[in-house]
Amino acid sequence: MARQTSDTDAELIEPEDYPQMVSKRDSLRCMQTLQSDRVVLKAKTAMASYTPMLRDAILEYVEALEEAGADLTQIFAISHEIRNFAANAGMGTAGRVAENLCRYMDEMERVKKPVDPAIVTLHVAAIARAARAEEDDAKMGDVVSGELNALVKRRLNDAGVR
Amino acid sequence: MSGGFEYLKALIVEDNSHMRSLLRALLNSIGITDITEANQGKAGIETLRLRRPDLVLTDLAMKQMDGLEFTRYVRNDPNSPNPFVPIIMITGHTEKHHVEAARDAGVTELLAKPITAANLFARIAEIVERPRAFVRCGTYFGPDRRRHPAEGYSGPWRRAEDMEDVEVS
Repeated sequence: MARQTSDTDAELIEPEDYPQMVSKRDSLRCMQTLQSDRVVLKAKTAMASYTPMLRDAILEYVEALEEAGADLTQIFAISHEIRNFAANAGMGTAGRVAENLCRYMDEMERVKKPVDPAIVTLHVAAIARAARAEEDDAKMGDVVSGELNALVKRRLNDAGVR
Repeated sequence: MSGGFEYLKALIVEDNSHMRSLLRALLNSIGITDITEANQGKAGIETLRLRRPDLVLTDLAMKQMDGLEFTRYVRNDPNSPNPFVPIIMITGHTEKHHVEAARDAGVTELLAKPITAANLFARIAEIVERPRAFVRCGTYFGPDRRRHPAEGYSGPWRRAEDMEDVEVS
């Protein structure tokens, strides 16, 4: 039953009082499904089948990123897509660098300060290199990712972002 | 034995086709096969009316109508077919102000990109195992946002029902 909370005018509607996604009777089976090793393996296998397609997509995003020039809106949007998918495509380093760039641009916009084009350029180059890297270059990508992360932290600190 | 999810209908609102494919694959793996896709919020609302899904997965950042606006519609519009439907918002924007905006729009769960099977299943498990009360007040309608008690809070209990959670040794 809906009831008023004690300190506000808010009405609280308990889970019993609105339609649930699954009934109480089915919830146990649903939980067993979600926690089943077999189901989790099936899900991971299904996701892995998309890896080649996602790798191709990431490489297309990288090309678009390099062609974006000084268009910061485009750079942010494309970097965000790379950040969202790179790990699923087995390109974790490119994803981390893209995440770093997005965080930098997002925070600078939030504090109404201009982004440093040099930092953007560095990140774009690092994303492209990491995405196209062979396995042997992955360690180098991790080093670059770490250094860029430290650089962004310093710059955001300078800009007053906490 | 069936897994419990076979009869559910899901709606995926996401402008990126790759992400839609991944989400569909994950939902399929737990037995949800009745899945409709929409590539932005407005199309999502139409589908919501037509299909009456039991679970909605939506992206945050979309052109035309984003996930926040979509969620506000679902929760607050008089024409919304199901204001209580669970909404999992999937986003790469995990900064605090984005998370707060999603929470205040009325999302049920938030899932950060890049997605994993474990993370999505954990969010669905929360909805199944610990459904939240809904709150209706002048400025908000949606799942109760006070999910976790504040750590280190030493002030007075704010509501009488808080005392139900106190353990006395």
